[in-house]
Amino acid sequence: MELGQALARLSDGARLTLRADAAVVYLLDEDGACLRMAAASGLPAAFQRREPLEVAHSSLNEDVLAGQPLIVADARADPRAVDLPGDYRSALCISLTHEGDPLGVLHVYADAPRRWGEEDAHLLGPLADLGAAAVASARELAALAALEADKANFIHVATHELRSPVATAQSLVRGVLKGYAGPLTDVQADLFGRISRRLDFLESLVNDLLDLAAGKAAGPEEQELVLLNACVGRAVLLLQPRAEEKGVELVHRACCEELVVRGAEGGLDRIFVNLVGNAVKYTPSGGRVTVSMQQVDDGVEVAVTDTGIGIPAESLPHLFQEFYRAPNAKASDEVGTGLGLAIVQDLVERYGGCIEVESRVGQGSTFTVIFPLFHLDASENYCRLPAYLERKNTTTS
Amino acid sequence: MPKILVIEDDVDMVTAIRMPLEANGYEVLAAATGEDGLQKVKEIEPDLIILDVMMETTTAGFQVSLKLRDPDEHSEYAAYRHVPILMLTAIHTTTSLRFGPDEAYLPVDDFVDKPIDPDVLLAKVGALVGG
Repeated sequence: MELGQALARLSDGARLTLRADAAVVYLLDEDGACLRMAAASGLPAAFQRREPLEVAHSSLNEDVLAGQPLIVADARADPRAVDLPGDYRSALCISLTHEGDPLGVLHVYADAPRRWGEEDAHLLGPLADLGAAAVASARELAALAALEADKANFIHVATHELRSPVATAQSLVRGVLKGYAGPLTDVQADLFGRISRRLDFLESLVNDLLDLAAGKAAGPEEQELVLLNACVGRAVLLLQPRAEEKGVELVHRACCEELVVRGAEGGLDRIFVNLVGNAVKYTPSGGRVTVSMQQVDDGVEVAVTDTGIGIPAESLPHLFQEFYRAPNAKASDEVGTGLGLAIVQDLVERYGGCIEVESRVGQGSTFTVIFPLFHLDASENYCRLPAYLERKNTTTS
Repeated sequence: MPKILVIEDDVDMVTAIRMPLEANGYEVLAAATGEDGLQKVKEIEPDLIILDVMMETTTAGFQVSLKLRDPDEHSEYAAYRHVPILMLTAIHTTTSLRFGPDEAYLPVDDFVDKPIDPDVLLAKVGALVGG
């Protein structure tokens, strides 16, 4: 619930509970020096105060904020009543305090004198506590949203600022390596080759880090219905040249049924490009990578199996951690940031799926991704969790 | 000698583009802003424009291509509507944004990703100017 709506309900509730003529919620500003009218119920527009009320100049509110409910029996006989709006005769004022922090005050007013006593203050207490909790949580939510917006903006700027110098340096080095800046000696060519590989690594690190940060910063992104067959097909197509170059057989066991999941096309592409890319990367020449897809219960299962170097059993629990690389992957010539699988897992879970890995060193690995299948013939919003995932959820929770 | 105008605000990137092109017989001229680029199109009448997608603002590159390809017959760039445009982009590979030549939205002829691979650049330039 939004803060304004919560406060309007609080003032309405207080007025009805105490059969008051008006109720007003004042909130303290950030430094706690001023109170501002944040919601009012039954208060004529003429009495709605726009300018802030300085706490230091309002002995009534100062006392209330100190923690004690305060009753004005007759405003005409009580000097503190100068701080009340209009010409109400009675007032009952209580602080809105959450976990010991005063956030504001709640006032209720009546036209007649001597309307309220101690028992009314007790009645108002729980309502004030609830109101204070609502204020605190609404403020936390707003702060969180502002933080997320800052983060997203930072990532947007960083994307350009980090990536562009790397891309420029890499473009220059590639030109030099191709001899466009004059002939290179063998030693120079070797050194520029090393610089180029370091820049490639830096580029992928920047891209992966930004992707990971963007994923973490993003709220629930727009999801749509996506034909998974197409995503998997694209990933295989994209990596076919690399596999051929390396002498790795890349086999696609396409599924003839059209299987639809809920997700974002870009993210789903990223998942399979990453998994198939890894399989090709860590499979030596002469090996094979098989990508298959099938319907399992109410889920879609995509398996990427390779005959590559495999993953040591002790590395399996750490595989999806950011920056983790298995020792045999590190020892290989292949460049990697250790972020790819963290990104994949993040995306898979965002689309309601799960990922599993089975592997044996020297024999190969199988990464299996399962997504809930979206039934096109069912109602638009109906999506059943596959029995497989339900079982998994029960065992892990 | 085919003339190529590079509209790009990063001078080092211009150098990276210039090296392979000049070595292959192209004349390369550069402009650092979209506005300067549009001016130079009229002055030098290039055979190809290489346009960065993001310059002083994130949409400067888009604006330049939209102005050059303005279908209005009275457009001040009407005489240059046929000049091929090769757009430089770094967005292509890392987001789900899919760029494709699109007459209405992004009227360019082809894209080349940063970092630049000289062989890819030369192949694309060759295909567009027939050189």
